[in-house]
This record gives sequence, structure tokens and C-alpha cells, in this order.
Amino acid sequence: MFSKYATKSPWLYRINTGSCNGCDVELATTALIPRFDVERLGCKYTGSPKHADIVLVTGPVTVRSENYLIRMLNEIPDPRVIVAIGICPISGGIYRDSYSIRGPLDKHVEVDVNVSGCPVRPQSILDGVAQAIGIWKDKIKQFHEA
Amino acid sequence: MAGFFKIAIRNFLNSPTTDPYPFGETFTPENYRGIIDYTPELCIGCNTCEYVCPSGAIRVREKEDGSGISFSFWLNTCSHCGNCGYYCPTDAVFNSNDFHTARHQSEKFIPTIDDGISYVQCSNCKQKMKRPVEALLARAYEEITEEVRHQTSLCPECRRMKRFERM
Ligand code: SF4
Ligand code: SF4
Ligand code: SF4
Repeated sequence: MFSKYATKSPWLYRINTGSCNGCDVELATTALIPRFDVERLGCKYTGSPKHADIVLVTGPVTVRSENYLIRMLNEIPDPRVIVAIGICPISGGIYRDSYSIRGPLDKHVEVDVNVSGCPVRPQSILDGVAQAIGIWKDKIKQFHEA
Repeated sequence: MAGFFKIAIRNFLNSPTTDPYPFGETFTPENYRGIIDYTPELCIGCNTCEYVCPSGAIRVREKEDGSGISFSFWLNTCSHCGNCGYYCPTDAVFNSNDFHTARHQSEKFIPTIDDGISYVQCSNCKQKMKRPVEALLARAYEEITEEVRHQTSLCPECRRMKRFERM
């Protein structure tokens, strides 16, 4: 009954896999500061992985966070859209080839959108979330048809 | 209390602080270090940018067919540090103001810049060599005479021989 409206308001969930906090600060900026205000796009941050529709992942997937990441991803229901924020999850970035890195992220999960930058500009994050919403709508449609 | 009302009324009269992006234009600072831009006309193929890049985003290699030097840049590992632009002797590579870095996963491994320069031929022995670049000549010589022009059209080997003959 609510599925028609659900496509209009995806919930964002944030996973930090050992980032330097740069991208997380930019994510917080995008969400909390009225200047960027990601909620204009109809989305809202959630605290629970079970409610997540669009997952924003930061960090290069360190050895310590790998297990938590996999456990977290198992809790997120389909259909979901994974967005890699920053060069860390996309390619390892400046931490690439380090002994303590188990990335990149697409080794663990199917990524949909990459937003590169170190850190990412809030405007680029908005771009990425807008793209993710587009993909998410397609996925929801396919999910209902299947 | 009066102060509170003053701020509230002022904020009520001001326009919204929200940046209209992505529905409208946004402000980008002049010195914002965005996606790398590359001018092949200025590049001398010296490899400095690849050497100083901390994230290995730039690759400068001899082309497979030996016709020149290729320059490729992979956005998805660039940390926008600006080292390449700072150290490039001719400013062939620099940070543009472009911040549109959100890409679909299918484009992940497509190089953002895939360009390069071609070799020229030595005017004497027809050997392939890197071409001279005006910007660098202007820095090296006070005045670019005919003699200098002739010298730069020669490969290093021929130039050495010519100099030797003159002695
Ligand atoms: S991409 Fe850069 S700023 Fe973002 S978490 Fe990685 S190192 Fe930090
Ligand atoms: S872009 Fe600049 S630093 Fe890089 S190879 Fe060309 S001239 Fe050298
Ligand atoms: S800005 Fe920094 S990371 Fe990006 S290509 Fe240039 S040197 Fe490499």
C-alpha cells in the first residue's frame, strides 16, 4: 500500500570502514548544515541498517572493520543501492597496497555509484545521492515486477 | 530576549541559506582543486607528475606503437592534492574547477584523461625524439635565436656531434 510513496523517500545509512574521517565530516555537512541539506532530495538518515535503502560507505575497508562491514551488509534488505564515498572505498586511494586494507569495497558487495574525491565535496555527494535515487527507483520497480 | 527576536526577524527577512545545487548553480572557489585537466600541447613527457602523485592516478608511458608518449589519468584514485600541477615544469597538468565526480560503477575503470603527445623527427638523422616545447624554451633562453631553433630541432645525439664540431 505504501510502496508507491516509498520510492519518493529513500532512507540513507552510513557505514564507516576505517576512513580518516574526512569524508564522514563531509557527509555530516551534507546532512546537517542547511546550506547543503540532503533532505531536499527526499531522503533521510536512519540509524538502523534494517531501514536502509541507500548505503553510503566511506573508508578503505580495514582489516578490523571488514567483519563489521560484512555483518552490517547482511542486515540491509534488498533492494538497496550502495554508494562509495571518497577514493578510499573505490580504489583504496592513498592507502592502496597497504597491509591493513581489505578493499576495495566492490570486492565485498556490488557497488552502484562511485563518488570520488578526498574528501568529497558536499555538492558531489548530492550528485551521487541524486544518481543513487534514480538507480533505487529502477531497482524498486524491478523488485515489484519480479 | 530582544537579541533573539532581532536575529529571528533578520533571518525571516533574509533569503534561504540553502545552496540551490543540484537544482541550480553553486559557488566554486577560484582555487578549488577539482578534476585534473591536461594540455597535450604543453606536455614534454618528463614523467614528473607520475613520480610525485601520491595515489598513483597518473601514468605516463611510451606508446605501444612507439609513436609517442601516452598520458592517462584515473579519477577514482586521485586525492586532488595538486602535486602534479605544482611540479609540472610547463603547467601542462593542473586542477580544474570541476567537482562533478559522481560516476556510475560501470564507468569505474575508464580513464578520465587518455591522451598523449607524439614524437617528432630529428631534422638531421630522422631519429624519433621528444619535441621541444615553447614554454620551456622561453624559460631556458633569454632570447630564442635561429641558432637555438636549429639546436632544438636536433636529437640529443646530433646536438652533441654539432657542438663537438664547433669546438
Ligand atoms: S577518501 Fe580521503 S578524505 Fe575520504 S576517508 Fe579516504 S583518505 Fe579520508
Ligand atoms: S604533464 Fe607535466 S609533469 Fe607530466 S609528463 Fe607532461 S610535462 Fe611532465
Ligand atoms: S592531484 Fe594529486 S593525486 Fe590527483 S593526479 Fe595530481 S598528484 Fe595525483
